[in-house]
Amino acid sequence: MMTLMVRNIGALIVVFLLAGSGFSAALAAESVCLQCHAGLEGRLAAPVAAWDSSIHAQNGISCPDCHGGDPTDFAMAMDPERGFVGVPGHGEIPEFCGRCHVGVKEDYFDSGHGRALHSGGPQCVTCHGNHAVQTASLALINREDCSRCHEYGRAEEIKAAMLDTDRLLAGIQSDLDGLAKTGIRVREMEGETFALRNDFHRLFHTVDVERVREQTAAFQQRGGEIRTEIEAVQEELTTRKLLGAGAAGLLFLVSVICFLIRKTYRDEE
Amino acid sequence: MRKRLLDFLDVRLGIRDILEQNLTKYLLPRNVNIWYTLGAVLLTLFSLQFVTGILLLVYYVPNPDEAFKSIETIMNDVPYGWLIRYLHAVGSNVIVIVLLLHMLSVLFMGSYKKPREFTWVSGFILFNLALALCLTGYLLPWSQLSFWATTVATEAAGAVPVIGDGLVRFLRGGAMVGNATLGRFFALHVMVLPAGLAALIGFHLFCVRRIGISKPPFGEEYVPTEVKDKFVHEEHPGGIPFFPNYAIKDLAVISFFLGLLVVLVFFAPGLFIPPAAFEPADPFTTPAHIKPEWYFLWAYQTLKIFPSEFLGLASQGAVMALLALLPFLDRGRERRPARRPLFVTCYLLGILLFAAISIWGHYS
Amino acid sequence: MTQATDGNKERRTFLGVLLGGFSALLVAAFGWPVYRFLAPQQVGEGVSVRVDKKDIPIGAAHFFSFRGSPAVLLQPKAGEYIALSAVCTHLGCIVKWEADRGEFFCPCHAGRFAMDGTVLGGPPPKPLESLSVVLEGDQVLVG
Repeated sequence: MMTLMVRNIGALIVVFLLAGSGFSAALAAESVCLQCHAGLEGRLAAPVAAWDSSIHAQNGISCPDCHGGDPTDFAMAMDPERGFVGVPGHGEIPEFCGRCHVGVKEDYFDSGHGRALHSGGPQCVTCHGNHAVQTASLALINREDCSRCHEYGRAEEIKAAMLDTDRLLAGIQSDLDGLAKTGIRVREMEGETFALRNDFHRLFHTVDVERVREQTAAFQQRGGEIRTEIEAVQEELTTRKLLGAGAAGLLFLVSVICFLIRKTYRDEE
Repeated sequence: MRKRLLDFLDVRLGIRDILEQNLTKYLLPRNVNIWYTLGAVLLTLFSLQFVTGILLLVYYVPNPDEAFKSIETIMNDVPYGWLIRYLHAVGSNVIVIVLLLHMLSVLFMGSYKKPREFTWVSGFILFNLALALCLTGYLLPWSQLSFWATTVATEAAGAVPVIGDGLVRFLRGGAMVGNATLGRFFALHVMVLPAGLAALIGFHLFCVRRIGISKPPFGEEYVPTEVKDKFVHEEHPGGIPFFPNYAIKDLAVISFFLGLLVVLVFFAPGLFIPPAAFEPADPFTTPAHIKPEWYFLWAYQTLKIFPSEFLGLASQGAVMALLALLPFLDRGRERRPARRPLFVTCYLLGILLFAAISIWGHYS
Repeated sequence: MTQATDGNKERRTFLGVLLGGFSALLVAAFGWPVYRFLAPQQVGEGVSVRVDKKDIPIGAAHFFSFRGSPAVLLQPKAGEYIALSAVCTHLGCIVKWEADRGEFFCPCHAGRFAMDGTVLGGPPPKPLESLSVVLEGDQVLVG
């Protein structure tokens, strides 16, 4: 039932995001995992395309990083001796993902969701999918998904509490992307925004509205500071554009004057 | 005051005569059109590249570990560093555009024909030197774009039979683009190619002045110049002095192109500079959709079309050879486009083909 | 005919003046950034430098960079700190600390300075520049 749901979501995401993501697969020097599974059929082949469209693939995280095993040796690829852990069961998933996403795991186990894990409660894959994982966004909190187990009301409250901050951080992120493309040094700000966003998304996993509301002020403040920094840079860029327009205008003016002078000679030729 | 200075120089260098011969008494045809100014535009743009290049050289470090950071310093910490960098990077693209326009106008007016073959051939080599300057300069920022575009470009040399692999290693200084590549590309870009360019521009201008400026092959009064088998400097008695009449026209068009450059630098610097140019090079990660610059897309796509790499390279080589040797192949004396239907047809088809293949290369 | 030429001449002169003016403006507009590019304001003017106390042994000298030039911190007695510029006032060489004699010695022309900077001998015309010292916890703030 869950696998079906996951597959549906995964397939939808794949359909929308399959464009231009091929190179990461190539760069992973084509692990034997990908080579073999890509040639299989049905559900054994599905993870390859799904993973390819994921945020993990974009960051160079591939099969052995989660499942273990040896990506260079066909014979030993799925051998426990080389660390292969196979497919985690429903209850094993939070530990599985939590090997890297430690902060989220802590908050999750602290929450109502975490406590319900062994009685059919949700875990990471329930909302994020398993192979076609995308960057976390507020869209993951929606009526359709959350009301699978309980009424949407509380989820809606948390989403509302997080909306403003999410917008602020997303706005900062996209502005920084824009600035990076013009050669402005944004590495420090990007790092801080990334950390801030992670802390912020981690916060949701406590599914505690009061906690979210308390911490929102701190996020807003730090986010606001970054935004001020960005605005200063953008102001500088606008000044540059103005000066540029002035210089270009002068040059075109000089060109026109020269043509006019030329005309005075023309009349005499 | 000016007269005293001129007298001082004239007694020692005969400068009045030189000024007259090249400025006030240098007569040109009355109907010289605006395309004739493109040479002066190119001189100005190359000078700008030279000056901005030297300025960048003050802060740039040609070492893979420091190159990217030094460019970042220039862009962010050095006052107006961003301006110098963008003038240089955007300027190189504008130069290629003007070079193409200059070449196209010469082709159209048949000015490459006898006795101006040397002017054409030196111009053709200059075009290739300019492209080589673009290619070598591209690597210097050591960004993802630099690294991988250079990898793609040098890989093409592997298609040459027998010596292909050796050639690629020679170009790169090793199996892959790396420290050695940066070293040799830097030497080429900063010293060897500019020196060659300067020398050849000198020769090119010498040829232009020595044989005399060609008259435009348009208008009812046009009569083809008789080409004898001995040296004749083409005179234009009753013509118009270069200075100030045509000099001011040169200045007008130069200002226009500088204005265009400034507009691009301030309002669309990213037009020629994709985002991958702002990520430091990572030899282990090839970004998706790496492509060479727009002026190399024709070559890139041609290599992709032909199933055999060698054929792809050979076909390009044939076209380049055809173009280089054009004045020796097209010996007809006629320069008026209306009376060269075969040439004009090939010319137009050539432009369309170039544009089509480049656009295809962009989207493929 | 003459009228047209005269009118032309006047127009030409006027336009020429305009051209000259705008060109001068453009030259300045490009010249200023080039000048600033080559002569950036030194970052660190008026910036204080912190040095950990544990880096300054008693009776020894600790050399460090202060606003672009070498400087030196001394701890002649426990808890007492002196900060001086290490640039010799004669011709700009960097002085060395001679712990056994408790003096600064300049290797270029044998200038000598006391540990408070006063000239003891040799060609230097002025004492070593004194720098302000403020103690902050386990650090010394210079400048």
